[in-house]
Amino acid sequence: MKKILIFTLCLLFPTMVAMAADQCRDEVFLRRAYLTVTGALPTTEEAIKFLDSTNSNKREALVDELLDSELALKYMQMRWGDILRIKSEFPSNLWPNGVQAYNRWIYEQLLNNVPYNKMVQKLLLSEGSNFRAPAANFYRGFQKRSPQNFYANINLLFLGNRDCKDNGYLCFSQVKFKSTKEWKEEIVYLDIHKELPWQRIVLEDGTALTPKPNNDWREEYVAWLTSPKNRRFAEVLVNRMWYWAFGKGIVHEPDDWHKGNKPSDPQLLAELTDYFLKNNFDMKLLMKKILLSEQFNSKAAPEGFYQPQRLPAEVIVDALASTTDIWSTYHSRVPEPFTYYPPKTRSTHLGDATVSSSELELFGKVSRDVSLESQRNNSITSRQLLYLMNSSELEQRIRKSAVLQKICMQSGNVAQLADAISLLVLSRRATPQEVALYEKHMQQNNLPLAEVAVDIMWMQLNSNEFLYNH
Amino acid sequence: MRKITLTLILLLTFCFVATAQRAKSVILIYLDGGPAQTETFDPKPNAGRNYYGNYKGVCKTNVEGIEIGEKLPLLATMADKYSIIRSMTHGSNAHETGHYAMITGDTSKSAIVYPSFGAVISYMKRDTYKGVLPCYISVTSANSRFNEGGFLGNAYKSFDTGGRPESDEFEVEGIVNKFVDKERLNKRMALLDGFEGSHNKEVLDSLRATNMEFIWGESREVFNLKNESDSVRQRYGNSRLGQSCLVARRLVEAGVPFVNVRTTGWDTHKKHFQRMNTMLPDLDRAVSALLADLDAHGLLDSTIVMLGGEFGRTPKVLWEAPWNGGRAHYGKTFSYLVAGGGFLGGKVLGATDKTGENVIERPVRPCDLIGTVYLLMGIDPYGTLPHVSEGNLPILPSLLEVGKSEGLLYEIIDIKKPSHEK
Repeated sequence: MKKILIFTLCLLFPTMVAMAADQCRDEVFLRRAYLTVTGALPTTEEAIKFLDSTNSNKREALVDELLDSELALKYMQMRWGDILRIKSEFPSNLWPNGVQAYNRWIYEQLLNNVPYNKMVQKLLLSEGSNFRAPAANFYRGFQKRSPQNFYANINLLFLGNRDCKDNGYLCFSQVKFKSTKEWKEEIVYLDIHKELPWQRIVLEDGTALTPKPNNDWREEYVAWLTSPKNRRFAEVLVNRMWYWAFGKGIVHEPDDWHKGNKPSDPQLLAELTDYFLKNNFDMKLLMKKILLSEQFNSKAAPEGFYQPQRLPAEVIVDALASTTDIWSTYHSRVPEPFTYYPPKTRSTHLGDATVSSSELELFGKVSRDVSLESQRNNSITSRQLLYLMNSSELEQRIRKSAVLQKICMQSGNVAQLADAISLLVLSRRATPQEVALYEKHMQQNNLPLAEVAVDIMWMQLNSNEFLYNH
Repeated sequence: MRKITLTLILLLTFCFVATAQRAKSVILIYLDGGPAQTETFDPKPNAGRNYYGNYKGVCKTNVEGIEIGEKLPLLATMADKYSIIRSMTHGSNAHETGHYAMITGDTSKSAIVYPSFGAVISYMKRDTYKGVLPCYISVTSANSRFNEGGFLGNAYKSFDTGGRPESDEFEVEGIVNKFVDKERLNKRMALLDGFEGSHNKEVLDSLRATNMEFIWGESREVFNLKNESDSVRQRYGNSRLGQSCLVARRLVEAGVPFVNVRTTGWDTHKKHFQRMNTMLPDLDRAVSALLADLDAHGLLDSTIVMLGGEFGRTPKVLWEAPWNGGRAHYGKTFSYLVAGGGFLGGKVLGATDKTGENVIERPVRPCDLIGTVYLLMGIDPYGTLPHVSEGNLPILPSLLEVGKSEGLLYEIIDIKKPSHEK
């Protein structure tokens, strides 16, 4: 018995060692998890708490804590808002009250962890006032409101199909709109007495749908779409979630599924889809599984699986604000209501692509014109670096930062200063080599500690390590 | 045979467009909010107080028969340098759709978001423009109400200067930073280099090196208004608009293909006439100085200057409360001023009726104006742009749609209408 145990251990040991060797360090996981789940950097306190924790299961504990956080819900709300094109003005033209209600609806689905199939059913079977039945905004956000356009968008969002050729759009031909006397209130309703289409409705996979007279024809289609038997529906979400975590889908682009576009790892996709279906379309559990996966815990490429990605525009802009504690203010000049966001609002929480700033535009905030994930461009440009290197706006922020001034007052030497700034910006402590580098910079240039602090902060905000999720 | 004919037609079109290029640059002076055509380039002094409000007269210009608003005396002395379009129309009274129409030329209401014409020009010149400065610059910021990059993406959006050109030191974001001198920035760069070593950052390094050249090179001097004499600066007026126009002239001189000077405050629902009393003299001074200065530098022949907003304002004055003498949005008729780069001077295109409420002669749609600018810039207005998922799309879809176009503005440019165009 003992022999068998030893034998098994001997077999297992090399793989365990190998796994540990491929694993990223705790400080890397910490930053990666925060940025992926919440779109925000950990605070210094949060970073220290995790780094100094001796809990052997601390990664899972952190993931659980993060997935339950308000920041995680709001960040996930932004991702859905991007692909549902939530925007006050052109081209969605949902208007501020509709935007606000729609965002709240998504937030509530996420807060209650409504199963994905149920959420899509509610979204697609919506009708009523855009203020009181917020999901109905789904049908309002089209420049050209036609069953064909609704259907093309549904295919893109939920089946990753960019080129739909069947006539399922007929199921959406009852959708109508009626304005009210309230400013920008609009009722989405169904003309259920419409005469049944004379054509047979046959979907691409050969399924024939038979809508009933005096009924909501969408029901037939949505039941087919969201059924666990429609594996593609689940696969597309699983792959999208993977894309949200890694910046690259198992099928890539995540919204371009066709015969020629094969998954890079079919087995992985199958396993995750099975897991998702077994757990009744639970998106939070799925995200947790991905975050605890070997791949998400691996070292960054080229040593490991994880491909570094430039932080999204909103995340960079928020990180520049949170590290200096000097925040941009946002307002919407779209009537009505003309809105001033409360101070310290994160740009990831704006909820409306019409609201923007020069910095957000510079780093490529999504304008929500289309439902494609590729609308987000995270490549680095010389203009973005120019802003970080030499804008007086950022320079003043660093110089006026009360956080940095406090760090200076509390630090007696360069080593303490380096640790404090590194924890704030890079979510880790400084290495001895880095401290030596900073000391050399101070002595060579004969700078007071406060000026060294400004230079270190500038340097870290300009570094590859800050700009990328590793 | 058909193939050969087609190739021939394409070749001819190409030759035609290639030889047609008149302009090297565009300066768009964008009056954000929608300026009143009645107080600028389509005055109606005989329409009575309900239409012409508190204003009485007009300015006779130096061109026989052309009259403009009474608060534009300086522009009135140089009507031979520009043409006036009095029959702009798109029918939209909403800021965002009017803005989108005027800045893209697209009124097709498709699901596709088009890039602004600045972004299109920036895209089309990507291989031929070799300057150090960005191809498309906004002084001091672009209107971000829709995605100006459209389906071409972020790369072709404008570079926003930020800063205040009317102040002592025009701090162009990322270029002029009064807190950091060259020595300090070099020291910081050395620190960054020491921190990162040579690990995986070739791309960033080369971008940073380009930026260092950019920051300390000639671009810095282009933006430095101290290189201009006081008398020149004063001629433009010491306002945001005036000094922005001066920056625009300097950028065009440096070869920048598209400059957007955006000025706000034209959405005059209330206190319209009081506001016009201060805003129009500022506009008059800035634009007349720009035209004269471009001309004096020999740049007007190769630079298109356009002036206008997203729409006009109601010809009928809203005397009642709460407007108490305001003008609302009006997309049915409005005016644009165009000059230089192949646009003729001393012409008026189109006309409106007695009260200015309807176009009665030669309507001009957004795509007609933008298409003409493309033509003068050597860009085929009937050409295509690549879309990530839709293939090649027409550069101006509305130009091909019945009812969305009245034809390019051959009446006011120095290019003859080719016989194959209807």
